[in-house]
Amino acid sequence: MLTPLEIEALSTSLRVAGLSTIASLPFGIAIAWLLARTSFPGRGLLNGFIHLPLVLPPVVVGYVLLLLLGRRGLVGSWLYDAFGVTLVFTWQGAAIASAVMAFPLMVQAIRLSLESVDHGLEAAARTLGAGPVGVFATVTLPLIAPGILTGSILAWARSLGEFGATITFVSNIPGETRTLSNAFFALSQAPGNEEAIVRLLVISIVIALVALLAAEILARRVRRRIRGTSRA
Amino acid sequence: MNLVRTFRSLALVALVTLLAAPVQAMAADLVVFAAASLKNALDDIAAQWQRETGKTVRISYTASSALARQIEIGAPTQLFISADLEWMDYLAQRDLVKPDTRANLLGNRIVLIAPKESNIALSIAPGFPLASALAGGRLAMANTDAVPAGTYGKAALRKLGVWDQVEARVAQAENVRAALVLVSRAEAPLGIVYQTDAAADANVRIIDTFPEDTHPPIVYPVALTAAASHPDAASFLAYLRSLAARSIFEKRGFTVLSPSPRRGTS
Amino acid sequence: MLEVDVARRLGAFRIEARFATGPSIVTALFGRSGAGKSSIVNMLAGLLRPDRGRIAVDGTVLFDSTSGVDLRPERRRLGYVFQDARLFPHMMVRTNLEYGLRRAPRGERRVSLDQVVSVLGIEPLLQRRTHELSGGERQRVAIGRALLANPRILLMDEPLAQLDAPRRHEILTFIERLRESFSVPIVYVSHAMEEVIRLADWLVLVSDGRVAATGPVEELLSRLDLRPLTGRYEAGAVLTAKVAGGDEAFGLTNLAFPGGVLRVAKLDLPKGSEVRLRIRARDVSLALSRPEDLSILNVFKGIVKELGEDATDEDGSQIDVLLDVGAPLWARITRRSVHDLGIAPGREVFALIKSVALDRHALGLRPATDRVGT
Repeated sequence: MLTPLEIEALSTSLRVAGLSTIASLPFGIAIAWLLARTSFPGRGLLNGFIHLPLVLPPVVVGYVLLLLLGRRGLVGSWLYDAFGVTLVFTWQGAAIASAVMAFPLMVQAIRLSLESVDHGLEAAARTLGAGPVGVFATVTLPLIAPGILTGSILAWARSLGEFGATITFVSNIPGETRTLSNAFFALSQAPGNEEAIVRLLVISIVIALVALLAAEILARRVRRRIRGTSRA
Repeated sequence: MNLVRTFRSLALVALVTLLAAPVQAMAADLVVFAAASLKNALDDIAAQWQRETGKTVRISYTASSALARQIEIGAPTQLFISADLEWMDYLAQRDLVKPDTRANLLGNRIVLIAPKESNIALSIAPGFPLASALAGGRLAMANTDAVPAGTYGKAALRKLGVWDQVEARVAQAENVRAALVLVSRAEAPLGIVYQTDAAADANVRIIDTFPEDTHPPIVYPVALTAAASHPDAASFLAYLRSLAARSIFEKRGFTVLSPSPRRGTS
Repeated sequence: MLEVDVARRLGAFRIEARFATGPSIVTALFGRSGAGKSSIVNMLAGLLRPDRGRIAVDGTVLFDSTSGVDLRPERRRLGYVFQDARLFPHMMVRTNLEYGLRRAPRGERRVSLDQVVSVLGIEPLLQRRTHELSGGERQRVAIGRALLANPRILLMDEPLAQLDAPRRHEILTFIERLRESFSVPIVYVSHAMEEVIRLADWLVLVSDGRVAATGPVEELLSRLDLRPLTGRYEAGAVLTAKVAGGDEAFGLTNLAFPGGVLRVAKLDLPKGSEVRLRIRARDVSLALSRPEDLSILNVFKGIVKELGEDATDEDGSQIDVLLDVGAPLWARITRRSVHDLGIAPGREVFALIKSVALDRHALGLRPATDRVGT
């Protein structure tokens, strides 16, 4: 039913989007927490910095990643010297590129749910003998689970569609970094690929809709468990 | 429910952007669509033309494929310069260019490049040891199935009998300039780009130039679009083929194919 | 014992509160809304940091600005029952209850889950989710949860404020049971004097961020100068009395108090039991000589101490009179009677008590308010 190219691009895409979402989640929660719960000099700057990928052309983001994480880059050279890790031209690098692009969406969703958590519940937990870390783990985290879920879904969806930053940072390597978007782009550049383009389009739409629907059902279930209603 | 709303509004934004794009080019200006690799040279020529005639021209640069598709859906452009024959033919078959104005304007060469400080020494010949020169690194090229610079490179490597050895090591960039950056930043030890690109970047050096018989001729055809009606369109096309333009093109590393009208041949 | 001396600025509002709890189990923090009661309790719990001051429980310092001590809330071991219950919505009732218990030091777990569940009657709720509970049930669970953390002191910040009258009554009953079943000292914050009288022995009057007076409930309620603060409940005297035997033939019980012996309808209490009585001002009449041929059993001789400055009703026809019959007693009589009888401080009068409200048994068994006609 699917051609080998389609299967390969699909599995690469799913792998990249999955790693991107899972790996950025702890950072997403931490940054959202900083933005929602603390005030420190430079907080506005951090907020703006996090949102840059929404404003900058993806290609520029990819280029900045190349400057930072490339083998000659500021951080990348250290990663290579210290651990022998290279990110350029790898699917893990593709995950980083799409994670950066999706990060503002994830942080925003988690931040909103953090801001809606009733501080009174956290205070109550403190009076019951739980320390700050314990309160976060047993009260805050479960209460923002719907926000985390929403943020993860948005980030995952964004990762799935990422193209500009990915191709600039890790280029297009069959079996390694050729995601659906990459394959899509390559096909669209040459005349006469209309049928293959439509097939990829249909696959992308089906995957996206199925995943988003499943996520919506899951999110509703989590919300119901927590609040007893399906409304947020 | 939030999610659905978010996606609905995102979709709306995307739609509006798409619909609005062609409108951005104003009808009153002389509008030229040109392949991205021509940017440096054409900007210089347009500036000089303006100095000489007082007339302005707006040039839109991107991949030839994207430009051709925009012309197909009615973009208000007067002149099209493609980076390959394929996309010009695509428009010609659909009667979207004026056949009598079509000419092969420029030629280019593809070259093997390395970062400036690299000490790789290779000469391009059948069966040359490209794979071992990569030493585990990647060969940076523009997309080898779609972007002209990539397809020429792939054809050449095939002809030379080394494609099968390096195919799995190729990192395909979005366009030839992105491939250039990968080598310029030394992320890839070797790359294949146009001679004009290599000339524009001081951080790379040319290792060798691919013989012209290893790949289809690299030709930049030019033509007025079928819808061209701007009074200055024809004169700008003529200016592109003048001696003044020729020296600028050559300075940027192009070969000028179209003979200057002053030499009297066509 | 809890010793408090804290100061804190909240915008233009200043809190400067200094008090200690008495020897009793329940201390009430009473004052109008906005008097600063909740802020004081939050400072006790460690949720609001005083600008300066000292807080100590039974000699353990929780906060001291001079020595830099500031125990975190989780180290203070003060239970807190909030006005809005604050149950964790993502946990079952049982998990809520166990939250504090699991975090209490092993050696100090005097209160067990079974005990709390049975006293508060929440057995059927254990497997429920918190959003399925009614307001009263939520508050019972919240009380149980705070109690199970085995706190040094239980802080209750207007736990009835968001409940309707029947629910309030129900929870009051449970709090009374609590007092009897667990010997955890309680600091009870309220702006409803009815609750205070029913539950507390020791009263801290809070007004404008300051402590206006501290002392036994009976004493503070009979002080005329505090009437503007203690007012707003039906005027009357609060007395503590002891069961001193009965009149079996007529089904009466004698209650001894400093002013003599009150005879009320038979109480099912052992001799020596302490009860708290409230004698409302409007249930007390005055006579200049000891009346005879009268159905009223309780007549006490006393001296007029003070006359209320202000009229106590809308048309200004009535006045409250403070008497000393060995214990303070209020009578509400008409202005006309004051004039006709020549009521003035120092005048000897007889107080005729028409009925006695039994607010609770200080150490007794019956929880609800009983009205006993005499």
